[in-house]
Amino acid sequence: MSLKTNSRMNMKFLYAGIVIALIISVLAPFLASPDPDGLESAAGGVIDEYTFSALEESEPFMESPMPDYAIEGQGKMGEVLAIVIGTLLVLGISYTLGKVAKKQ
Amino acid sequence: MHIPDSFVPMSQAIVYWLIALPFIFMSLKWARKDLDDMKVPILAALAAGIFAIQALNIPIGMGTSGHMVGATLVAIIFGSPMAGVLVLTLVLLVQGFVFGDGGITTMGVNILNMGVISGYIGYYTFVVLKNKAGIKTAAFVGAWLGLFISAIVCAVEMAIAGTFPLMAGLAAMGLYHLIIGFIGEGLITAMVITAIEKSRPDLLDTSLTSTQKVKA
Repeated sequence: MSLKTNSRMNMKFLYAGIVIALIISVLAPFLASPDPDGLESAAGGVIDEYTFSALEESEPFMESPMPDYAIEGQGKMGEVLAIVIGTLLVLGISYTLGKVAKKQ
Repeated sequence: MHIPDSFVPMSQAIVYWLIALPFIFMSLKWARKDLDDMKVPILAALAAGIFAIQALNIPIGMGTSGHMVGATLVAIIFGSPMAGVLVLTLVLLVQGFVFGDGGITTMGVNILNMGVISGYIGYYTFVVLKNKAGIKTAAFVGAWLGLFISAIVCAVEMAIAGTFPLMAGLAAMGLYHLIIGFIGEGLITAMVITAIEKSRPDLLDTSLTSTQKVKA
């Protein structure tokens, strides 16, 4: 395979990746299980209730703009938007970093 | 498995950052040495896909859910666990700073668990098994084991932090992540590797497919 075809196919891989990532981003707020993840669930089971709620309610080190992948007051559409923004942000950062860091 | 700030005391969080930093540095050196214009789109597509799929929690019963981590998948495709560290670092940066998923002080330990430990165990398990068991099975077992071991390490870290009792923490984390690792990590990783093997076999590192070339 020539370098040129290869490079074109890699761009196709990128576009396909973006489409798949965006589809997952849009569906995630509707499909994702609301149950706590493994770590949280373990915490709830092995720590006494009082300590657990203190840990859960303690302030994070830094406030984030869209905590829990949601936009305040925007419901499910806010969640969709938050995850889409995150996906595009990761895409942009990794593409830019890759271009800057790659071998010259 | 994103550890929030409150689960690890600051002094220990700093120690984990200090352990994670050389790996982050090495992953940037990997990018400088191995990434080229051709591979950047693949890296970006995988990073975006992994961020998205980490938002998709799969129910595993027992009132618990879990999601894919993805370090093993990235490591297999690029033929280096460093690639997994790089992608997971970028994903965790955005998750921590923008969405409060995983703490800022605990980002170091999260990069260590999900980027370094799950990726290294997953990738080298894959390397050991691929010739005997085939790419699909090796990817499945590697991804599964990588996630499981990182959860066991996480339980030990939680015990050192004084957050979880050791034995109960090991049992709960181990049980949940055996299941999360099977479905969320192992099956999805094997599926994606199979899809890439069919559509873009050239993408999988040459060392990986070389045995088949010899046979053919």
